[in-house]
Order: sequence, then C-alpha cells, then structure tokens
Amino acid sequence: MKPADKKAYDKDYAQAKKTGKPFFPYAIYKDTIIAGLTVIATIILAITVRAEVGEPVNPATTDFVPRPEWYFYFAFELLKIFKNQDALTPVIMATFMVPNIMIILLVVWPFIDRGPERRIWKRPFALGMTVIVTGLLCYLTWMGANSPAGVASQGLPLSGLDEQATKGMDVYMANGCGSCHMVAGVGAPGPGPDLTNEGAKGWDNAKMIAWFKAPKAPMPSYASLPPEDLENLATFVNGLGTKYK
Amino acid sequence: MTTKDIGPKNPVQKGADATIDFVDERSGVKTGTRWFLFRNIPEGTSWFQTLGFTAMVVFGMQAITGIILAMYYVPDTQGGAYKSIEYITNEVTWGWLVRGMHKWGASVMIIVVFLHMARVFIWGAYKYPRELTWVTGAMLLLLTMFMGLTGYLLVWDQKAYWATVVAVNIFASAPILGPYIGDILRAGPEFGPATLSRFYSIHMLVIPGAIATFIGLHLYFIVRLGISEPPWSKRRLRIERDEEDARRAAAREKAKALPGSVNYPASWPVEAEEATR
Repeated sequence: MKPADKKAYDKDYAQAKKTGKPFFPYAIYKDTIIAGLTVIATIILAITVRAEVGEPVNPATTDFVPRPEWYFYFAFELLKIFKNQDALTPVIMATFMVPNIMIILLVVWPFIDRGPERRIWKRPFALGMTVIVTGLLCYLTWMGANSPAGVASQGLPLSGLDEQATKGMDVYMANGCGSCHMVAGVGAPGPGPDLTNEGAKGWDNAKMIAWFKAPKAPMPSYASLPPEDLENLATFVNGLGTKYK
Repeated sequence: MTTKDIGPKNPVQKGADATIDFVDERSGVKTGTRWFLFRNIPEGTSWFQTLGFTAMVVFGMQAITGIILAMYYVPDTQGGAYKSIEYITNEVTWGWLVRGMHKWGASVMIIVVFLHMARVFIWGAYKYPRELTWVTGAMLLLLTMFMGLTGYLLVWDQKAYWATVVAVNIFASAPILGPYIGDILRAGPEFGPATLSRFYSIHMLVIPGAIATFIGLHLYFIVRLGISEPPWSKRRLRIERDEEDARRAAAREKAKALPGSVNYPASWPVEAEEATR
C-alpha cells in the first residue's frame, strides 16, 4: 500500500469509528449469542456422540490402522498422493515441502497481498485462492473420511507362494501392512506405495530387513518383530511381482 | 461527568466506590475497561465478526474441561493413562460429559478458527494496518493444530498411539532439523513413557501458554487498531456511490467543455444514468 492509500484508509476508518457505536453492548451481544450457541452445540455433540475408549496401546503388536483425527485427514491424503520414491511424487513433498510452503504462505500473506482493495469481487486472485484452498481441504478431508480402514482378511490373490512366502504373507496380513499398502489390488491405496511389483527392485533380504527396521517416514519401524518374521516378510515382499504374482 | 451529591450514600456502596477508586488510582483499571469495552467500532459490523470471540470462548471451554480432566489423568504408559481415561469416562460424575466436551471442543475450535480465518481473508481485513493481527492469528491456528496433535496421544489407545508414531516420524523426516525435532518430541530415539509425559506437558503447559500469549497480543492489536469495517458496509457503499457520482459529473463537465462536442440538454445524461442504475 502506498502512503497515500494508508492515509486515505486511516481517514476513512477514523470516520467509520466516529460514526460508529460502542463495542459494549452493540458488538458483544452478537458475540455472546454465537459463542453461546457454539458451546451448546459442543455439549449436545458430547451428549449424543459419546467419546469412546479404544484398545489400550500395545507397541508389540503392529496390527494397527494409523488414521489421524479428521482435521489431519488432508495431511494424510497428501501422503497418499506423494507416496512414491520417484522424482515426480516424492514423499518429501507431502511430509515437508507442501505443508511448510502452506504455513509460510499463511504467515506472510499480508506482506504479499498489500493492495488497498478489500472487496473480494475486485480481488480475483484472492477469491481464486479461497475457492481452491477451501475446496482442496474439503475434498482431501472427504477422501480421508472415506478411505478404507483395513485390508480384507481373506488373503491376497497371489499364486506361486512357497512355504516361506506364505508365512511372510501371514506376517504382512497380521501386522496391518495392507492398511497403508496395496498388493495386487487388495489393500489401501496409500499412504504407502503399491507393492505389487516390489520384487522388481531386486533388493536382497538383508536390505529389506534393514528397511523394515528403519524405514523412511511416514512408515513406522517394525524393529520389534521377531527376526524370523522379518526374514519371512522380506522374502515375501522381495518376490512380489516376480515369483509371486 | 459531574453528579450532584444528593445526600449520604449507602455505606456498602460507599465502601465499594472507595475500593474501586483505590484500585483505579494504582492500576488505571477504569481507563482500561473504558478503553476496552466502550471503544467505538464501525456501525454495521457483521455476524461473521463474532467468530474470533467464539474461538476465544471455545478455548476457555477447552481450558476449563482440560483442567478438570487433568485432575484425574495419569500420564503413565504402564496402563495408568488408559485406566485413568476409562475411569474418567465411566466412574467420575459427569466425567464422560467433560471428556466429550473436551474432545468435541477440539473439533469445534478447529472449525471456528478456520471460519474466522476465512472471514478475515475474504474481507481483506488482514491489510494495512492489521498485518500483525493476521500473523498472530496464523500462529494461533498452527498452535490449535498442535494442540489437536498432542492431545490425541494422551488417550493412549492403539489408534492414538500409532497415528502419533506416524506423525512424529513425519516431523523427524524433515531435512537438517528433523532428527532433532523428532528426538525432542519423543524425548529420545524411541516412543516410550518419557514421550507420553512430554506430550502431556506440551499439551497442558507449553501450547496453552503460547496460545494465551498470542490471544493477548491478538486482542491488543484488535483493540488498538479497531475491528475492521465490512468492505460493503452501508457507509462504504454510500461513499462509493458518492465517488461514482462525482466521477460521472466530472466526466460530463469535461465532455461539455470539449470544443465541437454536442451540447446535450443539461438533464439528459443524468436521466440516462439514473435509468441504468
């Protein structure tokens, strides 16, 4: 804003204030009504939809469905979009780049948009941002709310499994891998990458086990699994798409 | 304002007046109250401008219900945390209601804060001179999100635990500072008893303190700079109409003054424009 615009605004606002009304009671009564209704709505929600207590924590079992509260669904869905380790959709976009760019933009926005215009229909860029950001947040939240919570229990449609791979698949199923990964069309479409052709990478079991123990975020560590299970799981995963289709 | 002394006052009222005067003399509380409550605001402020106050009230509700929950909650990973949540939910009088209000209050607060921000954004209310009010508000939004993140773990059930493990993993994966942030959040390299105590402390002391501080700053800016006027208030629209009229009148004068231009009857353009308005 140019100094002249600032001066004009100050003058205009002083005028508005002069012809205005005192905060108490002209504004505070509206505030009280809306705040009161909001608190009442919260109490009604608390009464009708009781807060439940889930299963107690057991860090030894990794059979879990890592789903955040609804207000983080957008971040969760972002992980599904950028779930690959390739250059186009790297995980770091969802875990670091996009959130931080959004946060920085949010904080410094008044120093980017400094024009004197306040009417939204004369600020097409700001209007577009409002629509796009709100729309995207709503869409991602909706997607998160409708994402499958787990994997079908009947098993994976794979053939050619030997004894070790069958054991590995059991480990895969028992530890909820399918709530983040997909194999042959079964499982959740993210946040983890599709593992249908994981064997094509040509990793050996040692490398795969090292990954299970210290994977890249957002995947949690599976170091607590027994070594035998890890070995079987690694065999299973390393054969996906090559030996076991 | 001068009032006439009409006789001896009620001694209670006299005492109260003397007390208020004593405090005011030292603290300026009367001036402060007047500055805060009886400041003028532009006429025609909208119902949408109640969302900030509402967010503050919801924060107050979260503080009160949170204090009650803290009276019973035990940040113990050996089953104590989970049992205390069960105890609050099933045994404590109104405990289920307090916990429910706290849980739903978090969602309500996120929604109210987001709507408040959307209102400010759409109205361009973050523009001069209110840039710093926006910055403190953005901080409050982030802190509210962190409040939701840290509170989630305290229930110490499977869903909360694993969602938080993933969330902390994400923080820890950030370049350069990430590993340190991860260690700070987890209170070490592993998720464990110290992590729960740390989240408990962050959720109960660190973030509420930060939120209270930023609410104070936010309020100070709002009162000092005044609440923004709706860009389409009656007063603004009137001014815009007057400006438009003046502009058109000037254009008409200019057209008239141009040599060789047709001399329209004085009433013609006015009528034509009145019709199109």
